[in-house]
Formats: sequence, C-alpha cells, structure tokens
Amino acid sequence: MTDAEIIEKLKADLGDKIAEISNPGRRRLFLKVAPADLVPVTETLRDKYGLVFLSTISGLDTGEAFELIYHFSTPGTDFNLRTEIPRADPHIPSISPLIPGAILYERELQDMFGIVVDNIPDPRRVILPDDWPDEQYPLRKDWKHDRPAEIIPGGES
Amino acid sequence: MKFQIPIGPQHPALKEPISLRMTVEGEVIVDADIRLGYNHRGVEKVAEEKNWTQNLYLTERICGICSHSHSTCYVQGVEKLMEIEPPKRGMYIRYLISELERVHSHLLWLGVAGHEAGFDSFFMYTWRDREIVMDLLELITGNRVHYAINALGGVRRDLDEIQKAKVLEGVKTLRERSVYYFKIGASEPSFVARIAGVGHLPLEKAVSLCAVGPTARASGWSRDVRKEDPYAVYDELDFDVATADTCDVLGRVVVRVKELLESYKMIEQMIRMLPAGDIAVKAPRKAKPGEVVSRYEAPRGENIHYIKANGTDKPERLKVRAPTLANYPATVEMLRSGFIADIPLIFAAIDPCICCAERAVVLTSARSGEERIVRLGDLRRLGLERHRKAPLKRNAVWPF
Repeated sequence: MTDAEIIEKLKADLGDKIAEISNPGRRRLFLKVAPADLVPVTETLRDKYGLVFLSTISGLDTGEAFELIYHFSTPGTDFNLRTEIPRADPHIPSISPLIPGAILYERELQDMFGIVVDNIPDPRRVILPDDWPDEQYPLRKDWKHDRPAEIIPGGES
Repeated sequence: MKFQIPIGPQHPALKEPISLRMTVEGEVIVDADIRLGYNHRGVEKVAEEKNWTQNLYLTERICGICSHSHSTCYVQGVEKLMEIEPPKRGMYIRYLISELERVHSHLLWLGVAGHEAGFDSFFMYTWRDREIVMDLLELITGNRVHYAINALGGVRRDLDEIQKAKVLEGVKTLRERSVYYFKIGASEPSFVARIAGVGHLPLEKAVSLCAVGPTARASGWSRDVRKEDPYAVYDELDFDVATADTCDVLGRVVVRVKELLESYKMIEQMIRMLPAGDIAVKAPRKAKPGEVVSRYEAPRGENIHYIKANGTDKPERLKVRAPTLANYPATVEMLRSGFIADIPLIFAAIDPCICCAERAVVLTSARSGEERIVRLGDLRRLGLERHRKAPLKRNAVWPF
C-alpha cells in the first residue's frame, strides 16, 4: 500500500479522531490526535495497521505546551503520532499496556520534561540520579544549567 | 530464599557504567532490573545551544564504536531540512564508511562474545582481523575512531585508486577469514554448547518489547532499516537481511557473522559502482523551519533522530534514540530464568555501546587549583616516575 492509500484508509477508519494528517516525504506520515484519543487510536493502529514497533517518543517544549511525537514504524510505512498537552497541567495516558516496549521512553519523558504519564506501570526515574532535586526538568526550554562552584579539597593555597 | 545481587555501575565484567540488579533464587535469576544514567551527558540539551555544523561533531561523540552512525543519521536529516542533495560520489563514500564501521563493530563484538564464552582464541583471531578494517578506515578518513568524514552536503575526503584497491584487498582477506570463523564456530562443540539456549528471547517478546537490530533478527524478526526504509544508496545495492530463529546468543552470533558477509558484498559493490564527480556541495548556514525523522541501521540496530529546525542556525530540538536503549527491555526478559554465570554473556550479546577513550587529560593540581593539559606520553612518564619514587619494598619474600 502506498502512503496515499494509507492516508485514505486512515481517514475512513478513524474519521474525526485525526485532526491533521500530512505526508512530507516517502514513508513519513504525521498524524495529529487529541491526548484523550491517544490510547484508542494507538490500539486501532496496532490491531488494524500492525503498529507494534515504537521507535521512540520525542518530547518538545513549545513554550505554552508540550508536543509529543510517538514514532512508530511498520514494514510498509512510518507513522508519527503527534499530540499536544498543556504545559500547566501536563498529563498523558500511558501506552505501555498496549506497547510494553514504550516504558523506557515514557519514563524518560517524566524525567526530562516533568510530564505525568498516567497509569504508567513503572514510574521510577530512569536517567536522572536518585538525588536529583525535584521540579528540575532539564529539557524544558526555561531550564538552564548552572555549574556549581568547584570546591578544591584543602582549598587553594 | 531470594537475594538481590547488584552488578555495576562499576564492575570488571561490564565495560560501561550501568547497574543491573538481579533477584536470584540459588543461582537462577528470577527478576532483573536495569538502572541507567551513569554516563548521561545531556547531549540533547547541548545540541540546542550549538549550530548545525558544531552538532555534526557533537553527534559523532555520542558513541565511540558507532560514531559514524550517529553523525550520518544526523547529517542525512539536516540535509533534508536544508533541502540539499549531496553528490552521488559523496553518498557512496559516506555509506562505504558505514559498512566498514559495521564490519569493525561486528568483529569487535564477535571477539567479546568469544571471550565471554571462554573461547579466547576466537577473541584473539577476530581482534587481529579487526585491525585490517581499522587500518582501512584510517587510510580513508585519517582517523581510527571518530572518522569525521561527514560534512553537511557530502563528505570531507575523496577516495583514490590506490585506496580503492587496498579496500578490495582488505575485504578479500576478511571474507576468507570470516568464512573460516563461521566454520570453526559451528564445528567447535564446546563453544556452541556454551551459547546455545542462553538468553532466550522468543519472537513475540522481541516484538512486544520493541527490540532492534541483530537482537531482533536473531529472534526471527526480519527488520532492517536498510531494506525496509532504504535511505541514500541502499536501494541500489544487492544484499540480504540476515536472520536466525534460535532466539538465543547462538542466533545473535550467527546473525552477526552473516551480516559481516553481507557487508563485504556491499563494500565491494560500492567500490565498483563508485560514480565520478564531486564529493560535496556547499551547505547553507541556516535551515528553514521544519522537522524530519531520520532513521539509520547502526551495527546495533535502528538509530533514530528527530530534528526540528526553527529557522536559525541552531536546532530547536534534536532527539536521539540509540539502539542499545531500545534493547534494554528485551535484555531484562533474556536475563530472567538464566543463570548468574550467563549474565556477562547475555548482556554482551546485545552489544552494549561503550564510550570512547580519551587522548588528552586535564589535570587539576590539588594544591593550586591550576589546570593543565597532559598528553598520554607525559602521563605515562609521570606514572613511571611516581612508581619509581614510591616507597615500595621490592623483591619482597613471603615471611615464613
């Protein structure tokens, strides 16, 4: 099936659940869904289109919102599922019950952006150290790293 | 009675900092947990502060073994954003280095697998032969580890006739030896017995846990980005995707040896089909706003970069997912119900990526706080000096 045929089929199957659909290059489909529809759409895509393989989840801080892109790929084409959640109340449902391999990427989102993934099977930190201060999310655009002053044992002499 | 055994983050059996926590019953592993982040360098955050060209060298330093994978994945995405098309000759040279890198990485891995299985002569053979491909990489690019052959819009160095002949000659030797290893691997019963059935990962688990690369292919899942999403020159080359259906470490060895043979085939094709012409085009300083998903088949599996441009000379976002990360959930599955003695073998079988060695060291004097850069030779001299002056008792004997 070509990308154009898949787009037609997607429109017929999912209807108004897909807000936008674009195809900027060969094997690259970008679909926009509402956060509430993420799990049902993923389930439909997994069962009807064979989207079993999730490459990764990209997070992006746009200032007012967090944009999440779920990069799926199948032998036929690549599906990039885009959704946007408000920065003030960043909640997204977990897709790990559907795609168990998504767990590390969801934990990474929690660490790096402070996004709360609801119903995540394993909410522990994955990348940041255990003694990392709370409310510090390195990949948010307003987060800057201040290198702490280096203390030389014994002092300078 | 259950015990928890921590392995790492610093452990002689693991060459990179990662913490594996095993829950064991006797010597059987009943559960495993992986803790990451001991080597996290914040590359994605740094990338937002650097321009397109600087990031080329930054992405190359994500990994020491598959350095070319990350820089190629990045550069092929940025070229799409900048709407430039590198000349054919440049493309062929770029992906020739990709395949040579795969050969060096797989040979390295085969040695490690042999070593972990207690077959050290296999390790010495493969690492000796790895020098052939390392020399070829140095001959073409000038460097052994970070080749820095990529440039935005093409490659940095051209190939001449002598280099082409040397590559063909090297590949010929390597092919003969790889076929021989395939034979001794298969006909050495103790080696086969050690790796067969170890680290079992059934196909449905590999699929549900999103395993990539040789790990997935050894479980009979025939996925390869070069075949499925043929980027650049791969739709002009003739090659097969290597798979195995034993779902264990043996399968992972077989897949990698077969991939070596496929890579030799591709290297020869690329040398023979190398078109004439320029090797690079000039790249603009800025990229128009846009986004791109770039996929690349690294030696360890699918490597994916998501790049978003905002119209300036710096990326808005660079998301990198290295193949090893994708294989961790599958590794936990492989470790379950294995033995403690199999941990190094199973863990090594996904070919976890190790960071590169440093060549210069910055020393801070504990007294004055002064920083200076010391070359490796000087460091060695300092070490010997210190050892000579150390208050050691030499030629000591055991006190009876």
